[in-house]
This record gives sequence, structure tokens and C-alpha cells, in this order.
Amino acid sequence: MQSFPPPDLVSYVGLILVTDELQAPADFLIHRFLHLRLKDSKQSQCLFISVSEDMERIKAVASKSNLNLSQNGRFKFIDLNAHLEEQPDNSLQDSRLRRVFDVVTSELYNAQGGEGNFLVILDDIASLEWLGFSVLDLSRLCRALKAFCLKERATLVIRHHIISPSEPGILFQHLLQLCSYHVEVRPLSSGRSGAVSGELCLHTGPVESEPSQQLIARPTALQYRLTDGGAIFFNKGTSEGVL
Amino acid sequence: MSSFKRKVPSKQVALPPGTRASSSSPSTILTSSGIPSLDDILGGGLPLSCSLVVLAPDNHSAYGELVQKYFVAQGIACGQTVCILHDDAVTFAAECMWMPNSSSNTRTPTPPADEEDEAARNEENIKIAWRYEQMKKFQTTVVPNNLSTDDFCNTFDLTSRIPLSVIDDARNDKRLLLLNLNEGCDVASSMMGVIRRIQHVLAATSSTEVVRLCIPSLGSLEWVGQSPKDILHFLHSLRRLLRQYPHACACVSLPPHLCTDSWGGMGWVQKVGWVTDAAISLEGFGADPSLVALFPSHHGLLQIHKLPTPHTILSASDKYSTLRGLSSSAGASVGSGENNLAFKCMRKRLIFETMHLDLEGGVTERRTAPSANAISLDAGIAHAHGVLRVVDEGPSRSLATVEVELEQTTTEIRGSLSESPGMSQSAAKNATTPSKLKKPKKKVAFHSDKPDLYDF
Repeated sequence: MQSFPPPDLVSYVGLILVTDELQAPADFLIHRFLHLRLKDSKQSQCLFISVSEDMERIKAVASKSNLNLSQNGRFKFIDLNAHLEEQPDNSLQDSRLRRVFDVVTSELYNAQGGEGNFLVILDDIASLEWLGFSVLDLSRLCRALKAFCLKERATLVIRHHIISPSEPGILFQHLLQLCSYHVEVRPLSSGRSGAVSGELCLHTGPVESEPSQQLIARPTALQYRLTDGGAIFFNKGTSEGVL
Repeated sequence: MSSFKRKVPSKQVALPPGTRASSSSPSTILTSSGIPSLDDILGGGLPLSCSLVVLAPDNHSAYGELVQKYFVAQGIACGQTVCILHDDAVTFAAECMWMPNSSSNTRTPTPPADEEDEAARNEENIKIAWRYEQMKKFQTTVVPNNLSTDDFCNTFDLTSRIPLSVIDDARNDKRLLLLNLNEGCDVASSMMGVIRRIQHVLAATSSTEVVRLCIPSLGSLEWVGQSPKDILHFLHSLRRLLRQYPHACACVSLPPHLCTDSWGGMGWVQKVGWVTDAAISLEGFGADPSLVALFPSHHGLLQIHKLPTPHTILSASDKYSTLRGLSSSAGASVGSGENNLAFKCMRKRLIFETMHLDLEGGVTERRTAPSANAISLDAGIAHAHGVLRVVDEGPSRSLATVEVELEQTTTEIRGSLSESPGMSQSAAKNATTPSKLKKPKKKVAFHSDKPDLYDF
């Protein structure tokens, strides 16, 4: 049995890009980042900026890991859609995203108190692109968020959906250039199986010249199987169905 | 006296009519879609606060609308509030199916008889080898549990229409809300206007009654604002609305021309899957006669893009669905793949079942005879084995070789790019002329007239 993500990755200061596909969604990994960070150190605080995930689901999955998020003061949930809807539709997109950035930074400033190290999770930047925001604005938002998180020594995790694996989109290319680590969650090429739900790889981004993490290349991808509350990780060929 | 206190189960909250709790997570409330096999695929039913999108890319049939009608009929039968958004919602509601007349009041213990069951009864008289007698009959689909007395899923009969009295009663009780699309929406923001109307409807209902939203053809010509971005925005907003009002669920169906990548751009179906909770695709065989020939007992394939997981990581369907066949206790006999699923619309019902290749078909069949060079192409029936090659005798200016593969048969069409229209004509010509150039089959026979080698 393996364990992912390694603790150093969860508290890494920088941008971690998590990509997935519809057949192998990475929400289990996002929740896992959240749980590990909240459990590991008592000073960590987590800010979950959500476009498509909802609070009920996060709470329900966290309760399976014995985390009570409704009473946990170190967890903050921001519903991005509510903030976007507050502004009139015909305002400039740039200003709407700017407002979003301001909200995030103000949250971090308010809650910091000088001590806590933060984990900021932006769930699903691909949905923002599909809802009509331009790639330029979104990549600017990501760059601004990353710069801010680096300054505040926070970990930033951004989730992106890959629609066409063979032709990477422009936003994905921008994100790839910004990130230090890239966790890639892919389905099995042979289709779904009861034993293995998918596989994941860890690549280094161009920013990180000396990766401190053990990288996982595609041929030696770590496979996982989903359970009710998370996932079990194992190397290829060592799942229960094979052994 | 021990200090342990027995954990008293909290008082069971009475569930609204027509719903039940999910077996994998008790906080999820499921409601039936009206089709038992579809409920099984979804993991017991459609969870409340989830949206289901049914894509039906086949231009020649209306399977998406059929699923919607089941959804509406089930809602009306259970006494739930149903809200239909259509340009002519009254007609749509009147076209829904209903329970067969004889058993509308009483529950019949036998499953509905149709042509398949009668044939099966005739076959029961054949002698089965003794070691297989105890085994159950091979089931390809889920048999609806008619013996249960709860009203989770009613049996509907496609041959009977919903009585107008039922519709009128439901409308008078405000349980059936028919929203026409062209009422009071400003043209500029029609999609968002519809979202606001849905929000008014949901806010007006109490949280103890289940509300079913049915949108039979989202983005068809009556809707204003049909760009892919608008559709995605609508589905995204609908999902958010359902989270705010978790006693509601929605079933949306996209018209055929909206279900393909050619309309929505690359990866369109995946995008739809990402912005909704559950997405399935009923790919009918209407346009492709070769698929009809390959799978004669089905009318289309079912593709599952996303399954609803409102409170868990793993969908209930992965653990409990018998049709999908992924169910496994932890580590016991894991490793099996998922079943292929198909659907067929019979005279009285629509069912989803597992798809298995015929006895003669399949790529794993061992070939003993060398493949023939050219086999006559019958119009409807393609032979299951052998390689099919249509050789073009025309000018040899061929630049490109196009290989078309149809599962078991391979057609090699050679022709230059500029010549492709002419190519198809000659291919058609070859198809109609039955050129039987079959090589003689190898025959292994027992000759009784010649003396056997070991005949002493």
C-alpha cells in the first residue's frame, strides 16, 4: 500500500496543478490534500475556493475521515459563483475576476494572524473558462494568486479538467508554465475496472529546478481505487485483484 | 455498571413519498426515474439535489424524450411535484405513459408479459443438462421488484397514455406545474430568465415535498441563446440551484443536434458531464444500419459519462449496480471490467440491459478457414467472420488508403483523395454485384469406403 500525496507535497509552498479527466476525476485527491493538511499540523488553515464543488459534499466526505469541518475554525469555504453573481453581468470580466482575487486576499489577511500557514485550493478553473471568462484573464488570475501565495508562504492547489488529452488547451499550457508540480490523474487506457479506478503521476513543472519530491513518471504510475471516503493507492500490478 | 451507553438510533425522519434512502450513504435520498434498469445504473435511483443529463445523439429517434416522459410519469404517480419546461408543456405531459389499466389499483405479482417472456416459457420445456438445472436463467437486465408494496418505482406501460383526469387533478393540486418557454422571458437573457423562473418555483415549494424538474429539450429552437457557453452556464446554474434547494432533482435532455462535438466543439460531451451531476448518452442505432445488423436485439448503446455522487467519493452504482457488474466486496474478486450496456425499446417498455455478443460473433472467434478475398456484401446482413475487401479496379492513381473497420468486418477502400466521391460509387457498385469469389472451404470428412489404415 502506498500513500499519496507525500506530506512534503501537501505543505509545499508554491503552485501544485492537479489535472484530471471526466473518467478519472480528481476530487478524491483534492479532499485528501485538505484532510491531510488539516490533520497534520494544528496551525494550518485551509481556504477552499469552489466553482463546482459544494460545501455539503466536502463536509460529508470529511466526516468519513473523522474531520468535522462545520466546527473547524481552520477551514473556510468561499463560493466563487456567489461572488461572481453579485456583480452585474455586463461589467468587465477583468473587474469581476479582480474582485475575486481581492476577496481571496482579504480572507487570507484576515485569518492569518501571523502564524498559520495556508493551503488554498481553487477547485476547477476549467469551469470558469467554459462559463465564458477569457483565457487571458484566467491566467492572470492564476499568476496573481500564485505570486500572492508565494509571498504569504501558502500552498496553492489548482484543479483543471483536461478535455482532450491529445491537444492541450491554451489555459492548460499557461498553468503548466506556472506550476512547480503537476499531478496528473488519468483513467486506465483499457477502460474501467473494478480493481483500479485510475492512475496518477507526479511531474515537475518548469519553475522547480531541483524537485525535492519523488517524481512518478507515466510508465510507473501509481494506481488507485476509489472507496467511499477516499482512495487506496498501490503500485501497478499489486492490487488485490492481481495478488 | 458499565459506562458505555447504547447508541440509540436517532429518530427516523419520514421520507417523502416515492423516495428511499441510499444504501451506501443514508443521508442521500433517492427517487426513481421511472425505469428500473436505469435506477440500477444510477445506483438505486436519482439522488435529490442532483441533475441528470440525457444525451440522445441519434437524429432519427427520441429516446431522450422517452426517458423524460418516464421521469414525469413516475413523479405524477408518486404524488411528487413535477415541473415541466417546454414550449408546449401540456401536450408533452399528455403524451406520457401510464400504468396498465388493469393493475392501476392492484399490484400484480407477475412481471409484465411481453413477447420475450412468452417465448421463454415455451423454452422451459426443453431438457436442460442436469448440472445446469439448478442455475438461474441468464439475466441481462434487472427485473422490477413488483412484489414490494412501496411506491418507489411504478410499472409503466408504453401502450397506455396517462389519463387526462390524472393530469387535471395534478394541475389543480399544484403538483404539476407546466411552464411554457415563451411566457414573460426577455429575449436577451432567456436562459437566465428560465433559471430565475425555476428559482421562483423552487422557493415556493416546501422542503418536505420532492420537486422534479423536467426539461425535455434544452437548447432546441424554441430557446433563445443556444451557444455552447449558454448551455453550460445554464446547466451549471441549475446544479447550483439544486444545491440550494436539495429537495429537488432535475432531468434534462439535450436535442440530438446538440449532443455532438460538431456543435459544441471538441470535448463537448465531457464538458456537459463536468457541469452536471450525472450524464448518460443513449446512442441509438438509427443512423447506422451496420450497427443494427451487429446487434439485432438492441436499439442502441448506453454510455455512462458521469454518475451522481452527492455525498461520497465513490458512486453507489459502483458498489450496488448489478447491470454494470462492478460490484465487489473489498478485494474479493476484483479485477473484472464493466459490462457493456445497451437499451431497447420494446412494445411496452424501455429497458437497459447488458450487451453480450452473439454465439457466432466476437473477435476472439478462432478462424479455421483462410479469409476470402471478396465476399458478397448482402445489404442488411454482414457475415460475422472473414475479412471483407472491396478492391477497386479503377485507375491506380491511389494516394491514400483508408481502412474502415466495423468490428468484425474490415473494409479496405483504396482511392485518391480527390477521387473519393467516385470511390463510393464504385464501392456501391461492387456491393450490388454479387461476386462470389469464395475459396473452397477446407473439408475434413470421414471416408467410410476407403479402408481404414488400422483395419485388420
